[in-house]
Amino acid sequence: MTTAARTGGSAPELLGTLAADHATGALSTESGIFYLSAGHVVHVESAYSPDLGDLLTRSGAVPPAGWWDAVERAGAVHRVGRQLVDSGRLTTGALELCHLGALFDAAYFALVHGGAALRFRPGVAHWLGAVRPVPVATVLRESRRRRDLLHRIWPDSAVDTAPLTRAAGADPDRLPPRRGRTLALVDGGRTAAQIASVLAHRTFHTLVELRRLAADGLVTPAPPPPATPVHPVPDAGGAAWDEPDTALLRRLLDALEAL
Amino acid sequence: MPGIDESLLEAMRLPGARGALVVDWISGLALGAVGDAPGGDAEATAAETAELARQAMESGTLAPADDKAAGTAGKEPPVEDLILTGADAYHLLRFVVTTFDSTVFLYLWLDRADGNLALARIRLAEMADRLVLG
Repeated sequence: MTTAARTGGSAPELLGTLAADHATGALSTESGIFYLSAGHVVHVESAYSPDLGDLLTRSGAVPPAGWWDAVERAGAVHRVGRQLVDSGRLTTGALELCHLGALFDAAYFALVHGGAALRFRPGVAHWLGAVRPVPVATVLRESRRRRDLLHRIWPDSAVDTAPLTRAAGADPDRLPPRRGRTLALVDGGRTAAQIASVLAHRTFHTLVELRRLAADGLVTPAPPPPATPVHPVPDAGGAAWDEPDTALLRRLLDALEAL
Repeated sequence: MPGIDESLLEAMRLPGARGALVVDWISGLALGAVGDAPGGDAEATAAETAELARQAMESGTLAPADDKAAGTAGKEPPVEDLILTGADAYHLLRFVVTTFDSTVFLYLWLDRADGNLALARIRLAEMADRLVLG
């Protein structure tokens, strides 16, 4: 059964309907694409998260030539995942772990950055093929849980998208290794997604580290590029600008913890 | 060549095994679940054991002494496994080492009367290797 292309509804609502219809095809949001097969999520892509090929090749788990060989041989028949296993480049377990990591990462950003469903293309399949299909309800529930997890760590979502600045004196060597490697890449210009890309880490997992760093006062969203102030404020140094935001966030955090 | 489900089913064949999970210790997501879970809720078990695993992984004090000197920091996890002993059960967590970014562990819920902790620990380590290395 197919569902006609629709627009205007929220992505979670439409995904629920497509799951109930056992639909097959691709649903686009403003920030990602969900690939469904018989009502299950088989893959998700988002511009905000590294795809399976990035995670595998940039970490060194699969050489780039091996990855592209699999794409060439099996892309047209939608079996690239199976090809990676059959050619001995990955175990089934490794493929499933990396695939699920990429799927839930992309799903979070496909839902968080644009709640609206833009287009459903019935029958469209992803070239990766089915590796380990996930129920729509599981994907939606996990995305909500991830949003809440980030909020509990540090309730300022500007950290997720803005260029980030490292606090003076913040030392990566004194942190847990993963958090230290993340902090080392905070340079006043890179965003969370760019840091994730350099590390070949999933973006959500990078957000978790960055929000913990922000909660510890080691990372802040970089101030916007200097512009002519509309209302010049006397003696408005950087610290004076930062103060009200920090105080507000601390109150928010206290209030949330008191709930 | 085992996938996630085959590995979990193999873990369930250990004497005294009550339930097994594959869990991401940063997000708290259960990537796979077989058998029962303590309290009857696999997702809650995943989230809570993940928090435990994260604390262990991020502990500077418990890391091997030569970790940084040997230049291996970040290559190998500082902790191989965690064993939690309760009145009626063991909870075993074994980290899975991958070249790509995965941050997962195998979790085994083992009955204390019927389980063999030493055997389960060795088998779980083998399963964690086979899952990603073949």
